[in-house]
Amino acid sequence: MNTINDANLPGLVATYLSKETGRPITVDGLIRFPVGFSWLTYGLRVMGLEDAPAGRELILRLGPDYGLFAPYSAYPQALAMESLQGSGVPVPASFWRSDDASILGAPFLFCERVRGDAVLPWASAALAPLEESFRLTLATQFIDALGTLHRTDWRSKSISVMGQGLTLANAAEKQIAFWQSEYERWAMRAYPLFEWGLHWLRQNRPLAPRLSIIHGDYRTGNFLEEGGHITAILDWELTHIGDPHEDLGWASLPMYMGGTKLVCRLIEPERFFELYQAQVPFTVSATSVRFYRVFSLMKLAATHMAAARCFEDGRFNDLRMPAMGSQIIPVLRQMEKAIEAP
Amino acid sequence: MNNSFERLIDGMTVTLRNEVLTRLDDEFARGQVFGIINLLNNMRLRADWSVNFLQQEVNAQREAFAKVAATLASSGQKLPSLGSVCANSATPAPALDAPALIKMREEGNQALIELLRWLWSDPQGVSQEQKASIEVALRRAMRSEVEVELKHLAKPMFAEMSQGTEATNP
Repeated sequence: MNTINDANLPGLVATYLSKETGRPITVDGLIRFPVGFSWLTYGLRVMGLEDAPAGRELILRLGPDYGLFAPYSAYPQALAMESLQGSGVPVPASFWRSDDASILGAPFLFCERVRGDAVLPWASAALAPLEESFRLTLATQFIDALGTLHRTDWRSKSISVMGQGLTLANAAEKQIAFWQSEYERWAMRAYPLFEWGLHWLRQNRPLAPRLSIIHGDYRTGNFLEEGGHITAILDWELTHIGDPHEDLGWASLPMYMGGTKLVCRLIEPERFFELYQAQVPFTVSATSVRFYRVFSLMKLAATHMAAARCFEDGRFNDLRMPAMGSQIIPVLRQMEKAIEAP
Repeated sequence: MNNSFERLIDGMTVTLRNEVLTRLDDEFARGQVFGIINLLNNMRLRADWSVNFLQQEVNAQREAFAKVAATLASSGQKLPSLGSVCANSATPAPALDAPALIKMREEGNQALIELLRWLWSDPQGVSQEQKASIEVALRRAMRSEVEVELKHLAKPMFAEMSQGTEATNP
């Protein structure tokens, strides 16, 4: 197992960036943000860059080999971020990246540090809801960004390598097969209900209306806002090319409603789909949304299995991991309900 | 729960030592944390998952297998070969300790999956009514496991774990 030593990171980063830029680089102010379960996120200040000799604030993301979805590659999220520059989707600029763990101890990615705070997805019903004008302002931008993402012509961008072999007919099957293989890697016990879900998904695969860049984890908690303005869409590690209904199914999961009846704690479901429909050049299919909601619940159950596995193997000692693991059965129950819903 | 009892106890004691004690200055509070670690270490040696809910889950599986066997027997057919799991499906399951019941539940769930796959393969000589009856029995077993698990699961505290504060009632 590669080790990441926070104390050594500034020196390693300075050495790497000096080599990459051909300039004497120094690093200070390294802090680790206590967010996420997967990639480690650090803030740091880099001095000596040609276009910012006085210093630039950057984000460093490291994908440790003990992380939830390890082994990691920095490339999918880097490709997504660079392909979306100038698209209208607010994404941080991405800079250097490598999957060579000998450099910083893990695959890594440097990107722009964007101002703003994340709105938590988990807020319970016992806590005050988001103020109405604030949430609706965010909702409009949240939906606009999603529509823009799904309209983006990715075939002319670097992310097009992720779309090889993909068709409107096989987009759903590719995703089912991917998450089935992850389930087989992570599950520590047999789950007949999961198999039931896989079977249903395969019996009900929709034809995609188009192939788009999919975020893969599009929800509250994965964007930054400042003063009611979304400054960045984050966490592109699950990005891929697929059916745009997939992000709709994920964003509208009940888990992200935070005890409200609002999609991502932001907006009524009918209005969410209405505003999204106005953004895209295809007709949103209720059947496809339902399919991808079932798919998303299967994917979420698999993610919880990854958390339980990660903790059981002793790779991660964060007690949020077994807490996530305890939710596998409730999520599978939700999946079954979604299958049975008219 | 989906993690082993021992690993959960180990994870809790490591977290208390590495993440709580290192940030706690009050002498009495630190002593209380050591008290919790001591009790957890004793629980690790003496306790295990409750056999009660495991027994309920295994019994639900065995009822399903008995139902499937009876459905097929009515037309002179036998259960697909699933080893001892289905061959010995009389209920209730014998009184066993937690590790033995966990093993039995796992074998039962594997058998449930095999039966589902067999059913989806459209087996010859099995009528539509029999298939429907078998599917109902298997789904009932799956639901029973879910219901038993949900009855023994505390409300999740993701909001509190994310914010580090107690959620208060309005």
